[in-house]
Amino acid sequence: MSLSSRMIIVLTTVGLISGGFLAGVAKLTEERIALNIQAEIEEAIAEVVDDAEVNQKVYEEEDLVIYIGLDGEGTLAGFAVQATGVGFQDKITLMFGLDASLTKITGLTVIDQNETPGLGAKIEDWNAFLQFWKNKDATGQLTLRKPAARTPEELSAAEINTITAATISSKKVLEIVNLSLEKVRQLIQEGKIAIEEQDGD
Amino acid sequence: MELAAIFISAVLVQNFVLYYFLGICPFLGVSKKIDSAFSMGLAVTFVMSITAVVTWLINNLILIPFGLDYLQIVSFILVIASLVQLVEMFIRKISPPLYQALGIYLPLITTNCAIMGLALIAALNEYSFVETVIFGFSSGIGFTLAIVLIAGIREQLDLADVPEPLKGAGIALIVAGIMALAFNGFLGMLT
Amino acid sequence: MATKSIGQEYLKGLWDENPVFRQLLGMCPTLAVTGTVITGVAMALATTFVLIFSSVVVSSIKKLIPSQVRIATYIVVIASFVTIADQFLKAYFYSISEALGPYVPLIVVNCIILGRQEAFSSKNSVGRSLIDALGMSSGFVLALLVLSTIRELLGAGTILGYQIMGPWFKPWIIMILPAGAFITLGILLGIALLIESKTKRSQ
Repeated sequence: MSLSSRMIIVLTTVGLISGGFLAGVAKLTEERIALNIQAEIEEAIAEVVDDAEVNQKVYEEEDLVIYIGLDGEGTLAGFAVQATGVGFQDKITLMFGLDASLTKITGLTVIDQNETPGLGAKIEDWNAFLQFWKNKDATGQLTLRKPAARTPEELSAAEINTITAATISSKKVLEIVNLSLEKVRQLIQEGKIAIEEQDGD
Repeated sequence: MELAAIFISAVLVQNFVLYYFLGICPFLGVSKKIDSAFSMGLAVTFVMSITAVVTWLINNLILIPFGLDYLQIVSFILVIASLVQLVEMFIRKISPPLYQALGIYLPLITTNCAIMGLALIAALNEYSFVETVIFGFSSGIGFTLAIVLIAGIREQLDLADVPEPLKGAGIALIVAGIMALAFNGFLGMLT
Repeated sequence: MATKSIGQEYLKGLWDENPVFRQLLGMCPTLAVTGTVITGVAMALATTFVLIFSSVVVSSIKKLIPSQVRIATYIVVIASFVTIADQFLKAYFYSISEALGPYVPLIVVNCIILGRQEAFSSKNSVGRSLIDALGMSSGFVLALLVLSTIRELLGAGTILGYQIMGPWFKPWIIMILPAGAFITLGILLGIALLIESKTKRSQ
C-alpha cells in the first residue's frame, strides 16, 4: 500500500470515527442543553413577574422578546420583556417584568453581561442594584438617582439607584429599559402583541 | 456605524491580547525585537482575515443548516491548520523574500489561540459575513499593535536592570499587565 | 537517557516541568479564566480530561499513523475530546459553561496538549503516556488553583464565593481585571525561578 493511500485511509478513518463519536455525544446532550437554555429564561421570568405559573412567548424581534405570565387560573399575571442593548463594555441582555396593567415594573434581572468585573458587573447584584427595580413607575421614562440612595424607600417611583463607581453601566441598563418600554407601548397600541386568555389549565 | 465599532473594539477596547488573552504564546515568544514582532503581526493578520472568511462560510453554509454545530471545534481547527499550510506554500511560491521574512512564524500560528479564538468569538456573536471579515482583520491589527508595543518596551528593558528571576517572561507579563491597564482607559469609548 | 520511575514520571509535571510555570505553555486559559477559583478549577479539570484521553488514544494508535499526517491526527483526536468536554459542561454545568465562554473550545489550541502528544505520547507506551498526562494535568491544576485563589481572594475577598476577608478589606479590583492576571502570573513566574535558583545553589 503506497504512502499516500495509507495517509488518506488513516485520516478518513480517524475523521469518521471521531465524527460518529461526536454525533453520538451530541445526540445524548442536546436535549439537556436545550432545557438548560430554556430554564434560564423561565427562571428569569419567574424572578421578575409575580405569580406567573405558565409563560408564553407573544412577540419576538431582534433584541426584544416579550413573554406573558399566566397565573394558576389562566389570567394574565404580567409581562416579561427580554431586551438586549449596548452596555458599557459589551452587550447586556436583561429581563424586566411589567404588571398586567402595564403601569408598574415588577422587577429586573440580568441574563447576560460583560461589564467590568467588580464594578459594572454589580448590575447583577440584588443588594447593589436589582432590589431598586421592584415596583417602579412604568408609565413614563425612568431616571437615575445620583448620588446613590441608601434604601429603596428614598427613591421616587420613577427613580432607579445608580451603583457607586459604575454609573455608566447603571445608565446603560436604564436606557435599555426605557427604550423597550417605548417599544412595548407602541406594539400594544398597534395591536401587534397577541394575548390569548386561557380558561384554566 | 456598526463596522467602525467592531474595528475600534477589536483593536483598542477589547484587544485580543490584552483583553481576551489570546495569542499569548507568540506574544511572549516573538516580541523581543520590533521587526520580528511586526512580521509576526502581519502574518497573523493575514491568516486571521482569511480564516474569518473560511470559517464563516463553513459555519453558515454547512454546519448550521445541517445541525452540525457540535463539529465547530473540529472543523475550525482543521481549517486553520490547513490554511496555515496553504498560506505558507503560497507565500513561498509567489514571494521568496516575503517567505524569508515571515516563513518561520507561520507554523507557529496554528496553535496560536488568537486564530481559533477569532473563529469561535465571531461564531458566538453570530456576526454577518461582512462583520466577520472586519472582525478578523481588526483583531489581527489589534494583535499586531499589542505585540509591536510590547516589543518596543522589551527592547528598552533589555538595557534595564531587571531582577534575575523576572528576566524574560516574568517582566514581559508584568509589562503586559500595565499595558492592559492602560488599554482599560479605552473602555467606554464606544458609548 | 535513563528511564524514569513511575513516580518521577508523574512528579515532573508538578514542578520541574510544570507546564505553566516552567514550560510557559497554556497561558491563554491560565490568564483568562482564573478570575474566580471555580472557573479556574473547572477549566483545569476540563483540560485534564482532554489531555488524559488524548494522550491515551494517541499512544494507542501511534504505530498506525504515518508521520506526515500525525499532527492532523492529533488535532482531530484532541478536538473531539474538547467537543465532548464542551458538550458535557453545557449539559450538566450550564452556568459554569457560560462563565467560561469560548475558552473551553480554546482548549484545543492549548499548546500543552498538542505539545505532549508530539513530545511524549507518540513515543511512549500507553501506560507511561497516561502517567505523564496525569502529571502534566496535576501541574496545570496546581498552577490554575494558585493563580485563581490569589486573584479571587485579593480581587473580591472571597474563595469559591465564600467571603473570607472581613469587611475591613477593600478588594483590589485590578486582580480580577486582565491586568491583574498578567501581573500576578509574571510575579509567580519570577518566584518560581527564584525558588529554582535557590535550590540549585544549595545543592
